[in-house]
Amino acid sequence: MAFAESQNPLRVHRIPQSRYIDAVRWLSPVSPSDRFAAIAYFDADTNSPSIEIAYVDPNPQSSSPTLTPQSSWTSPSRISSLKTAHSTPQPLLAAATFSGSLHILASDLINGGVMESEATVSELGFHSGPVSAVDLREGGTECVSVGEDGRVNLVSFVGDSSKLSYRRIFDANGLVGYTAVKWASPSEFATGGYGFGIQWWDQRTSGGPVLQFKGNWCQGKTSGIVHSIDIHPSRKHTCLAGGSSGTVFAWDRRAAQQPIVLSGAGTGEAPNSLLSESEVWEVQYDRYTRRSNISNISSTRILPVMICSEDGILAVIEQGKQFLKHNYYELDRTIAKVETYIKRSHC
Amino acid sequence: MPGVSSDSARGALVPLSPESPAAAVYPLRHGLKSPISRLSISWSRGNSLRVSVFAAPSSDGSVNDGDGGKVVEVKLGGGDGEISEAHWRRIAYGSVSPFALLQSRKNAVFSLSKFSMNSSPYDGDWWDYIMEYSKDINALLVNQKSASVPVLDDPKSVITKGEEPTSLKAAWELLEMFYAEKPSHSWLPERLVDWLADYDSLFSGTHPTVHSKLVDFQKELVNLQVVEDDPKYWEVMSSALAVGWLNIVVKMLRLHGSYRLDQLSNRETENGLVEAVAVLISKMPRMRLEHEAGKLGECYKAKPDFVKAWEKWRGQINKLDSSAFWFQCAHQQTREGLRSMLQIMLGNANSLCSATYNWIELYISHFLYMRPLTVGLESMYSLAQKSIQLKPMASAHRLMGLIIGILGENTEVVLAECLKGFGPWMVAHAIELLTAGSDHAEMLLHEERQNLGGISIEELHRLVYAQVLSSFPLTWQIAPIYLISCMKHGMVLLQRLLSKQPVQDNQLLLKSIEICRLYELHSVTSNIMKIAGVHHWKHGRKGSGVFWLQQARDEYRLNRIALQLFDSVGKTISDESFKQWEGLIQLLGSDSKTAGGLEFLHKYRDFKKSLRQIHDGKATDSARQAVESLISVHIISYNLLLQVTIILSKIITRANIVM
Repeated sequence: MAFAESQNPLRVHRIPQSRYIDAVRWLSPVSPSDRFAAIAYFDADTNSPSIEIAYVDPNPQSSSPTLTPQSSWTSPSRISSLKTAHSTPQPLLAAATFSGSLHILASDLINGGVMESEATVSELGFHSGPVSAVDLREGGTECVSVGEDGRVNLVSFVGDSSKLSYRRIFDANGLVGYTAVKWASPSEFATGGYGFGIQWWDQRTSGGPVLQFKGNWCQGKTSGIVHSIDIHPSRKHTCLAGGSSGTVFAWDRRAAQQPIVLSGAGTGEAPNSLLSESEVWEVQYDRYTRRSNISNISSTRILPVMICSEDGILAVIEQGKQFLKHNYYELDRTIAKVETYIKRSHC
Repeated sequence: MPGVSSDSARGALVPLSPESPAAAVYPLRHGLKSPISRLSISWSRGNSLRVSVFAAPSSDGSVNDGDGGKVVEVKLGGGDGEISEAHWRRIAYGSVSPFALLQSRKNAVFSLSKFSMNSSPYDGDWWDYIMEYSKDINALLVNQKSASVPVLDDPKSVITKGEEPTSLKAAWELLEMFYAEKPSHSWLPERLVDWLADYDSLFSGTHPTVHSKLVDFQKELVNLQVVEDDPKYWEVMSSALAVGWLNIVVKMLRLHGSYRLDQLSNRETENGLVEAVAVLISKMPRMRLEHEAGKLGECYKAKPDFVKAWEKWRGQINKLDSSAFWFQCAHQQTREGLRSMLQIMLGNANSLCSATYNWIELYISHFLYMRPLTVGLESMYSLAQKSIQLKPMASAHRLMGLIIGILGENTEVVLAECLKGFGPWMVAHAIELLTAGSDHAEMLLHEERQNLGGISIEELHRLVYAQVLSSFPLTWQIAPIYLISCMKHGMVLLQRLLSKQPVQDNQLLLKSIEICRLYELHSVTSNIMKIAGVHHWKHGRKGSGVFWLQQARDEYRLNRIALQLFDSVGKTISDESFKQWEGLIQLLGSDSKTAGGLEFLHKYRDFKKSLRQIHDGKATDSARQAVESLISVHIISYNLLLQVTIILSKIITRANIVM
């Protein structure tokens, strides 16, 4: 979706649903005018979790876009994490559940978005307890899954066949819990966990994380859980993380163990702007608002970041200043998992 | 049966009446083939009943299909038939912000009035706030199920199908009409006329109504060739006229055969009469501010203007009634039908009674044609009673009960009807309208009562509603807003609600903590975190457990954990397993105060680091420091001490060799 030179005024569209929404992801469009979304639902009335692919019709005549469900897949238990890999026309979905299983789904967007389960990992030893987070690599042949039980698994699958193998990269036996994960390169990924800790892993090195980050947070007061990590393809040395108490920070691996705090109570020295005081559920680099000098920004500055939080704030943060927009973005690839009660169970 | 004693407030047992109706029995399908040997029943959230059914294991030890057990969840309670569960949740969620806004405005108004000399805190703005609240909630009650059918201007369609009305919306509009609108704007009888036009269809289930007759006639109309021959045509028109649906009447009149071009020449007189009646109807004077666009009738705001127009109109009707043209009208049904319509317009009590079907319609017709200048609730109430006498109710309808309660200015009856007919949501939100609109109601509802434990009726109903919200997983999050508005017991119940939320689910845990943060319930927060910490610890998620206990600053438990960890560290000091501990140590951070007794792990790690340095041949000074600090930790197990001693001796010998 192209932006005009003058900023389009962003519009809010609420599409209330009658079921819990556990996760939402955009699927890459088949043609410029198509927009599909994958939505993980949980129907509390009938206790049935499912994933649906819906066609989002922008509908310029009426006031708000409509969601037309295309296909649905029933999950064995509630979805805890949903990620997509963009390989048109069959984008892949990785869905992790609260019962500790992982499902790879392929959806054929050309033929009505029918979803098929490509492969499933639901063995007892995969994860004990819920899977906290998964991430699919671009190109979609590998998926990393992490859980609070301290296990980091790498699942590899070959395109058409249902052959799926996983190997345990690390098992902390519960001594550490992981809550977020993100691929950085074909062999490296970052995980986040408790105490705002981020770990950097390299598949070529075995036996634990290569680098660990734990800044000097004022103990207890601003410590929290990392909910989401993002890594920009042009700046792989920096990990962006968002978590509890409205904290959004970045860790530059080349620099010392000092976090660059974009929002939050910070390390106590300089009171930063507090955008939100509640959990920041998702952070993502803002890849779509056109900025003229994006290539001129030095590699030490953090690129603009989009966040969404528990208390209903959707905002773009730029290092040093901030924009605040309480609107839902109509951009592709926007993570619209706004865990506010409005979206959650609006009927 | 003995009557309940007057000191029942002390909690005496109420004996069961022997006349109580027989218990309802519902069969439960469980799908097990083998006979059941055990049954377990427990309540879960909301209205759900969980029944666990276990089959007896087969005697020969083989496992068959249909053996084992099943857990079935039974949901009781039908709820409102017109409104689905999903719609109820939307209403519940949508009414939170209007309610919260109104409460904050109320608080602001009261705090201001303490400083000013004004005796009454309510001023012009207050009515606007109430109306805004009422309109916001009204907007939520619109029925989702209404199909938006494009309305073609079909000349043969008498009734246009708009949205499906719901009793809830009808009830809310009644309350808004009588309590929320500023007294100066109440043209109550006319408002009731409009109300009945929108909601008459709701009575069709249990009572005969004009609306149902119209709908039936509409179906027949398609097949009729000559409308004016059908007696139903005239009956239906009279009925519609009696309740003031003028547009429909005129439209139906224009369907009369005498308008057809081929008939016009030989039915001139007939057509003239029909047209005359149509014109009279469309010029009916109405005592109201204004009409919607396209509606027939002439509006008058001031009484003298209205009276003058009314007299004139009546004169015109009389003139038509006594004209000679009737003898020239050939068609008998037309003649009789039109004349009975004129009788209705003249306010003939018998005609009105025979044209209407239930007491509300009769009541409305009295307003329109017999007593258009009725003001005051007392006269409206006595008129209603007369209408009920003339047309007694076949069965009770929740809206009818509500109307009688409102007209009789009986707050208790209004509340009881709302609760019985529409549920706790209605009562909790309607109380705002009642307290605004009636001084008597305000006194009654705000008075603190001993038999309720010292709280007012208003607070009681808010607590009941909050309880209903709390028992469902999808709505418990909005209960805090209602609990906060309860002065006496709200905070305590909120703390209990939050403490009872399960901690297994991370999302719920974070949500509970968030709500605690919003309302500054620090003790509840630390309790929840402690429970979560211990829960995670016990289930093998040691990292999570330590994190939550740290957040809760639970020194006692952290020290206990230190003891446990101590023993396990003492046993395994191999390098590979130590990698696992790295993460936990990272989590603990370098500040020793909140780490509690786990600080030894730091010192142990430093010790290990310096050991590695020694292996690489580096300085022993740091090693010595590390050992010293490790030993300085207060708690140290024998095991660990032994191992440290062994390693130290190795270091010393190696150092000696180096030197």
